Amino acid sequence: MEKLVNIKNITKSFDETIVLKDLSLFINHNEFVTLLGPSGCGKTTLLRLIGGFETADSGEIIFNGESMENVPSYKREINTVFQNYALFPHLNVFENIAFGLRISKKTEVEINELVSYALKLVKLVGFEKRSVKKMSGGQQQRVAIARAIVNKPKLLLLDEPLGALDLKLRQDMQYELKEIQKTLGISFIFVTHDQEEALTMSDTVVVMNDGVIQQIGTPEDIYNEPENKFTAMFIGESNIIDGVMKKDFLVEFEGIEFECVDKGFNKNELVEIVIRPEDIVLSKETKGKITGVVDDITFKGVHYEIIIMVANKEYVVHSTDHEEIGSIVSLNFDPDDIHVMKRTNE
Amino acid sequence: MNKLKNLVYPYLLWMGVLVLLPTLLVLLLSISDLDIFNLGPFNFSDDAFSFLGREEVKIAAINSIKYSVLATIFCFVIGYPVAYFLSNSNSKNKTLYVTLLIIPIWSNMLLRIIAWERLFFPVSILNVFGISLDLIGTDTAIIIGMVSMYLPFMVLPIYSVLEKLDKNLIEASKDLGANEFKTFRKVIFPLSIGGVVSGTIMTLLPAMTAFALPERLGGSKIILIGNIVEDYFIKSGNINAGSLISIILMVVIVVMFIVIVKFDKEGETLI
Repeated sequence: MEKLVNIKNITKSFDETIVLKDLSLFINHNEFVTLLGPSGCGKTTLLRLIGGFETADSGEIIFNGESMENVPSYKREINTVFQNYALFPHLNVFENIAFGLRISKKTEVEINELVSYALKLVKLVGFEKRSVKKMSGGQQQRVAIARAIVNKPKLLLLDEPLGALDLKLRQDMQYELKEIQKTLGISFIFVTHDQEEALTMSDTVVVMNDGVIQQIGTPEDIYNEPENKFTAMFIGESNIIDGVMKKDFLVEFEGIEFECVDKGFNKNELVEIVIRPEDIVLSKETKGKITGVVDDITFKGVHYEIIIMVANKEYVVHSTDHEEIGSIVSLNFDPDDIHVMKRTNE
Repeated sequence: MNKLKNLVYPYLLWMGVLVLLPTLLVLLLSISDLDIFNLGPFNFSDDAFSFLGREEVKIAAINSIKYSVLATIFCFVIGYPVAYFLSNSNSKNKTLYVTLLIIPIWSNMLLRIIAWERLFFPVSILNVFGISLDLIGTDTAIIIGMVSMYLPFMVLPIYSVLEKLDKNLIEASKDLGANEFKTFRKVIFPLSIGGVVSGTIMTLLPAMTAFALPERLGGSKIILIGNIVEDYFIKSGNINAGSLISIILMVVIVVMFIVIVKFDKEGETLI
């Protein structure tokens, strides 16, 4: 089946600053894709290029089999939920949602039917006559979503729509957005800098930095198998250690050889090793392979965050058990907790 | 803070003596037979009201409405596009263009009126270009004069509303399938209506009450309500009737400002 969106070698710059560098990406039908990266990584620019609000310097965007070059935003079967919602202040909730339907000359009956379906989907039934200026951030956001999906686009673009909401509401909306996407069976491209949000909602996460895609994969892949240091650092907390790949399934770091599950590196290749803080298990005795001194401990709610000094290197460990500062502990982990990456030149 | 408050008193005194007192005086004059040039006993009188039915007052009132409405329409038709393109311009000279628009307001209005008057005589500097106009006393002269005087007052409130318009709304409209024209009709224009109302009133009011402009450009053929007031006060000595007309005009102005405030609650369009 043909891809819904095919982005080919897009480059975009603003006043000499290159924002996107020769970027290629495709998006399937009925897929929830998240563009994840720090601010300024080019993710919003990429979204605006797909929406038709910016023009690329070079490269091509194919949408539903057609080149989008010279196709203005109002002719694309794509709708957007803007970061600040961009609701029309002179129209009430009903008219805001009906805006696109009136443009496409739907009948009054159809408009009523479609708007009430959209309102049901975003749980705002009964708010038809309300002024959008008198709604809370969460409600405005729902109106913005309803206004976009009511037009039955093939693709919905969401530009950090949850950024302005408080934590609880945000988590509810993450769940609801995913539900809406499943119900409608259309593709969503969701831009965020919040890694947890990306992991929770997406089918596919696209990690971006400096206008370049760092990694594309499922949330599990991205978290468990980061391809480089940037992804490992940006997604969750990580201990990143320099090491040497002795041979397949054997890696050396901290002067000790460890069994691992990675292969395909050159003999004695310099690598970086990622171990997630929650994968390290502490034991009191010194019989573990690596031994260190507890340097600091912070209570984080679900767990303690413990900093352990191993030969002048800090290791972060998450543990539900309290450890005394100054006590000697050993660090234990299984072969499949070790993740080996190619070393990036920085 | 309380010490600073005292600084307000001279201003209040100034306002009282130069604004409030004369207004009260005009009000008293309009409902009495008092003659301030020849003070006598104060008697209530409704004599001034009989002047309202006079043919000259009726004609002047109709003229005032006719010319001010026409001038306002022209100002809107010319001013809206100017404000629209100014606010949309990415040019670095944007501020310069807005300043150029404002500069004429800084020069004396009477001088500008006299400048137009000179051009409208058959013998004028335009003869150098082989053009000879004979417009004094015509509708055209009054309208050109009014539009050139009051156009900035139409452009600026509309410009300031359009300038503040959230550009995201325009993108949202296009995103929802509206082309440039529909976006203008359904989003931009409805959201700039506050500026249009302000601009209309700011143009309509001075145009309606103008008296120097029709006097110079109307060549004593076209009389507006301002000319009647001037005539009653200074020439024919009918101060009471002149006062009454002034009071009526004042009421009209107050009503219009109430309309502005209603349309523009944030006061963003008033200069």
